[in-house]
Amino acid sequence: MEFLQYFGGVFEPFSFSLLLFGTIGGLVLGATPGLSPTMAVALLIPFTFQLQPTHGLILLGAAYTATVAGGAVSAILLRIPGAPANIATALDGHEMAKKGEGAKALHASFLASGVGGIIGVLLLIFLTPVLAKWALAFGYSHLFWMAIVGVTIIGSLDSKSFVKGLLSGCLGFWLSLIGYDDIQGAQRFIFHDALTGGVNVITALIGIFAVPQIIDMFAKGRQANNVSAIVVEKQKLGDSLGLLFKQVKALSIGTVVGSVVGLIPGVGGQIAGLVSYDQSKKFSETPELFGTGHPEGVIAAESANNAMVGPSLVPLLTLSIPGSPTAAVLLGGLLIHGIFPGSDLFESHPQVAWTFINSMLIGQVLMVFFGIWIASYAARVAQVPSSIMASSVMVLAIFGAYSVQQSMGDVYIMAALGIGMFCLEKFGFSAAPLVLGLILGPIAENNFITGSLIANAMDGPVPYFLFGPLNILLIALVIASIVYSFLMSRREAANELSAAGTAETDVDQKGGPMNTSRLQHLIPGLSILLLAAAVTYTSYTREPADAFLFPRLVATVMLVLAIWNFIRAASGLSRVGTGFSWHLAQSIAPGLLVLIVYVFFAAKYLGFYAASLATFFVLYSLYDPGTHKEGKVWLKRLVISVSFMLLIYALFTLLLKVQTPRGIFDSWIL
Amino acid sequence: MKLGVFGAAIALCVLSLGSSAINAADYPDRPISVMVSYGAGGATDFQARIVTMMAGGDDFLTQPIVIINKPGAGGRVGWNWFATEAEKDGYTLSAYNIPHFVAQSIEGGVKYSADSFEPIANWGSDPAVVVVGIDSEFNTINELMDFAEGNSGKVTLSGAGLYVGHHIAALQIEKASGAKMAYIPTKGGGAAAMKAVIAGDVVAGINNLSDAFRAREAGNVKILAVADVERNAQFLPDVPTLMEAGYDVDDSSVNFRGLMVPKGTDPAIIDLLAEKVPAMFKSARVKAHMDAGGSPLKVMNRAEVQQMWKDREVYLTELLAGLK
Repeated sequence: MEFLQYFGGVFEPFSFSLLLFGTIGGLVLGATPGLSPTMAVALLIPFTFQLQPTHGLILLGAAYTATVAGGAVSAILLRIPGAPANIATALDGHEMAKKGEGAKALHASFLASGVGGIIGVLLLIFLTPVLAKWALAFGYSHLFWMAIVGVTIIGSLDSKSFVKGLLSGCLGFWLSLIGYDDIQGAQRFIFHDALTGGVNVITALIGIFAVPQIIDMFAKGRQANNVSAIVVEKQKLGDSLGLLFKQVKALSIGTVVGSVVGLIPGVGGQIAGLVSYDQSKKFSETPELFGTGHPEGVIAAESANNAMVGPSLVPLLTLSIPGSPTAAVLLGGLLIHGIFPGSDLFESHPQVAWTFINSMLIGQVLMVFFGIWIASYAARVAQVPSSIMASSVMVLAIFGAYSVQQSMGDVYIMAALGIGMFCLEKFGFSAAPLVLGLILGPIAENNFITGSLIANAMDGPVPYFLFGPLNILLIALVIASIVYSFLMSRREAANELSAAGTAETDVDQKGGPMNTSRLQHLIPGLSILLLAAAVTYTSYTREPADAFLFPRLVATVMLVLAIWNFIRAASGLSRVGTGFSWHLAQSIAPGLLVLIVYVFFAAKYLGFYAASLATFFVLYSLYDPGTHKEGKVWLKRLVISVSFMLLIYALFTLLLKVQTPRGIFDSWIL
Repeated sequence: MKLGVFGAAIALCVLSLGSSAINAADYPDRPISVMVSYGAGGATDFQARIVTMMAGGDDFLTQPIVIINKPGAGGRVGWNWFATEAEKDGYTLSAYNIPHFVAQSIEGGVKYSADSFEPIANWGSDPAVVVVGIDSEFNTINELMDFAEGNSGKVTLSGAGLYVGHHIAALQIEKASGAKMAYIPTKGGGAAAMKAVIAGDVVAGINNLSDAFRAREAGNVKILAVADVERNAQFLPDVPTLMEAGYDVDDSSVNFRGLMVPKGTDPAIIDLLAEKVPAMFKSARVKAHMDAGGSPLKVMNRAEVQQMWKDREVYLTELLAGLK
């Protein structure tokens, strides 16, 4: 109960104001699409140099907690997860928002986050010694099997099509292998210079979630009624609390999964939300409702990604091993302040350590209050016209992607992935399995290879990977997960057959029958098949063979799935997705062209700010339903564009000190 | 109308060419980035943050330094980028690790060598040490090596990657003792390699003195030997060198860290940095933070570093050829 001694310290005026500031700031930054929590925390570190260690840590801890919770806001309202941890939240949260239950989703999200988070920090307070031992117990073979558990989830994440879900997962896996392999330093799949650093998860996240949304907003065109379809209702907090306590199962699953996943060093709290969502679906009485706007999904995901926060600090504080990328940044902050993790941390720096942990506890409570308060403002966000929303998110996406590593390559990758995902989504592929594959790829590969090296020095791979209680437990989980996914897919295939019997032809937006749909489905099917063939060829012919072991595995699976998918498309069995229509192509073409010029040319050569201002203005004007004839309207558009860019400047250049490409014009403007 | 636009465009282009010429007298007029080719929280990263925290001071660079992490493949990803794409305007610096980037460039497959960069100053000198878990059966380096000699290929040694200091030390130890051991490069830097030792995933490990010192203070590991020409008097006075224990391993694996700029940067800017940066490294606050972290501080100026790089390159070329 030592932590009670230091409880009062959190309420000292300066400490408490830092806590407030960190929480509110974190919520806002987390809710901004394009800014990842890791980045937000990393960029706060220099501010803490002037502070005492205790205060610096309070600020960073508050930001860590709040950014993850804040990411749910943009996930729910815009279907753009603020962080990988919020992907699962977007799956059901956004559907709820579309149904007019946005406030309910936001309330559920913050309340669940609070409950999960508080329990997570309490675990940290009371059980650190025990948890530290558990953290150590996960060796390379165990982490590998954990990654495989994650892989098996991929199949059941996408309720629309089992094959396409797996194929998306494979694509994600392959993307994760691009770049230099971590162990040998061999070059893999670097067919363009921009790819030397590999595909960064945050960049991919921004690309495959934000860009399709932006292009979809273009698709709405210059409709007179251009206000976003999301109406955020008034939701009573009491009702939300009642809802929450009915969902005890989802809440418990979320909290348990989040805590366990957060504890395992190196697996990354990024997957806590997704694993919890999946497990909650499996244990739910109404699994078919998941994905249609079911609060249970939101609660499971959000309680997990906040429950993860507390335990992720266990390996951090005792071993210097962060349990998530954001925790890694927090570690840097600790080290700079001379707080060195280790089992003696609580003896040598009790005041700092306990005040920090207590502040995380109070921070969770504050986060719930401010989150719900912000949720009411979120209603205003939903009223913003699509034209402004699309332009804003576009600029945020490019700045956000660039800020991760200050690399233009990331921006190109973001846009390319985004445009690709937009096309794929029209044919029934989804984003969540792809990101999961991208995150799990390195975990599976590195642990497999490191484990194999050790196994070779010991008794061989079989005992190392297959024997031992923890190995067996995890393998059992893998098998259970595969069996479940298979049964689900059989059920889905039966449903599809009966649906195909009743609906012979799909109808497009204008009301005519889509006779081209079978032909259209062949195009992505063929493209993916060609890609899979190219990847397979590369994997089997490049040297050194050691570095291409995993690529060969992934390529083979991808090829098999691609062939299966192509056969289904060719035989007309696969009708998932709306495909492209001439009308669609027409409405998105101008916006798409502007996007391409902006990202691939203007941003670098004209200067980030100059190009962004121009793009914002052009996109906004292109899709604004207002008249083009009145000078007043043009002036209004110019003013809004400049104001937005000033906000961006304040955030990215003044606050976060990101050094954007100057190009020709930026040296003038700035 | 069209001619006017055309003329304006030409004028803009000409003006922009003019404005892009670097005015060394104004340098620096905005924050400077330092690229660290390892992940946040690792030894290079946090040391880089400590030694650059004073940059904004009037006596030093008057502009703050922002750390950007570009981790991957033991540093190759970051240094490849730095050698080929970083702006040479003095606003993008990088941290270097010797022997890492030299060994990697000798080994091949990367786009840089010591000739791609201009050193500014050195801040740290972190020797490699041999560690075992606190519950390990081995208490001295000789016990460990005797076991290794009797069990060829069975002693697993963790280290932070291939062709980094730890790997070089491991190769040297193998050669000096004749015992074949299994070097296991881990992903996740020194911390992950240390975790493998603490958790008992591996028999022993090679790691940074700074990280090992703190792990020992925390009661998690035993430090058996240091790979240097003499004992580290400041932090580990009781730990013998490998040479004392009878293994001919010198200081080639010592991890020197410092700052550098891409080749082709304006000499005026290089001179300014070469003057201010060592002074910044020597400030009292930096020393206090480095000491608290068990990170040995060794400030060397540009000329000294240039010489050190040359010496290391010769040495490593010979060593790596001999170890193959």
